[in-house]
Amino acid sequence: MTGNSVEVTGLTEAERRAVAELSRQRSLDELGILDTACSERFDRIARTAQQLLGFETVIINFVDHDRQWTKASTRPDLPRVTPRDESFCHFAIQQRAPLIVHEPETDPRFRGNPFVAREDGIRFYAGQSIQGPSGERVGAICVADYGRREFGPEQQAILRDLAVWVEEELALARELTDSARVQSGLLPQSLVTMPGYEASGVCLPIRTVSGDFFDWYPVRGGAAFTLADAMGKGIPAALMAATVRATMRAGSRFDGVASAVEAAAETLDADLENSRTFVTLFHGHLEEDTGVLRYIDAGHGLTLLLHGDGSTERLASTGLPLGVGWDVTWEEREVAMRHGDLLISVSDGVLDAFGGTLDALGQVERIARECSGAAEAVVAAITEEVGSRAPDDVTVLAVRRLPALRA
Amino acid sequence: MNQNVRHLDDGVAVLSLGGKLNMVSAPAVRESIAGLVAGGSSRVVVNLEGVEFLDSSGLGALISGLKSTRQAGGDLRIAAPGEQVRLVLRLTNMERVLVPFETAEEAFARA
Repeated sequence: MTGNSVEVTGLTEAERRAVAELSRQRSLDELGILDTACSERFDRIARTAQQLLGFETVIINFVDHDRQWTKASTRPDLPRVTPRDESFCHFAIQQRAPLIVHEPETDPRFRGNPFVAREDGIRFYAGQSIQGPSGERVGAICVADYGRREFGPEQQAILRDLAVWVEEELALARELTDSARVQSGLLPQSLVTMPGYEASGVCLPIRTVSGDFFDWYPVRGGAAFTLADAMGKGIPAALMAATVRATMRAGSRFDGVASAVEAAAETLDADLENSRTFVTLFHGHLEEDTGVLRYIDAGHGLTLLLHGDGSTERLASTGLPLGVGWDVTWEEREVAMRHGDLLISVSDGVLDAFGGTLDALGQVERIARECSGAAEAVVAAITEEVGSRAPDDVTVLAVRRLPALRA
Repeated sequence: MNQNVRHLDDGVAVLSLGGKLNMVSAPAVRESIAGLVAGGSSRVVVNLEGVEFLDSSGLGALISGLKSTRQAGGDLRIAAPGEQVRLVLRLTNMERVLVPFETAEEAFARA
């Protein structure tokens, strides 16, 4: 790919510049970096530049429309937003080579700059442009000083390497954001096919993508529900989670819950073995007319059924996780969801967030009973309580059988 | 994570762990067990007394060890797990195949 720069003929120089700037701005916008929070990934690069080059002031800037926006800086006292016409980096992005300015106070481009035109103003600047994925120069990493400095080929080479490091971080961040979007597209939408029931779920990755997932879809006579947790965190776990989801869906053409899980386990066995991982899951089929839930618990163990009469059942685990190499059969269990009952399944991230003991399930139950409402409200309340406390991916699935209509 | 290996009189290897057995430390533990098996010690006890936290990746390392020792004709057993470790084993039903023993010496006593 050679990028998306636009080649148009028959334009004036000014028009050509405007087109190039449009293309540059689009490339910057697509990165999704603007106005994001400070990030250790980029702060680290600024600190490294500070140490390697011996400058107090190191800043990573992006040049956006009529402003310059700072992503990382060793100078938290300086503003994060500067007008573009006061920006040095605006000039650094005009060229591929580093921009070195030795006497800005005598340079017509900078001598009127408020950061220069004062007694203790900037007297040295070096900036290396940063390229977006298509080659447009979207920003710069720069060093500045209030006194004269030397900046030889060796320093310039270091600055260039650091700019490439920024570019790699940008590409990685973008890829993760895209992956997260694809993954959230794999979560189910509203459960439209089951009148009398409602379902809600949430999946919050500890990293950008999650090794947990929840799912539901219509099966004969009702709907199937799954909550699964692949070992580990981040991209490796997310790849396995997507594979498990697809396999479970394919396996659900079988009528029995046990046969669906066993078929999936058989299909996944070699994959799990090769990637040396395992998966815990809860999988159930809910019969619409009767509320009968047939389920398998493969080493998940974190599912509750809250009855409308105030009693609670833990849907105990009956089998080993998938991929541990033994016990290829799972025992199917059966429980009835009555009108007003609520099924809640959570991943172990919730357990860890609530103190890491089984008391966590008591907390889940208390929260759910306190909001005594729609499945969506229960999921939201649990998520809120978990907050940012979880050290792992957090997934919550709630299914409610609506109270019977009174005649 | 701290790791320490000693051998009992009957040839059983005891791998004692301390700290967190999680995504960060799991690969090293996996390698230690693989190393023991490759060196001819296929009967391994993992002493979990010093392990304060076990996550799914840590459990994965124990499961890998269980597979590799059994493939080599031996077994992997665990000793002295704490509360949090026991809970993970119980929730996943893995206590059925990774039965906890009180001490490393007991783990293969009736083998």
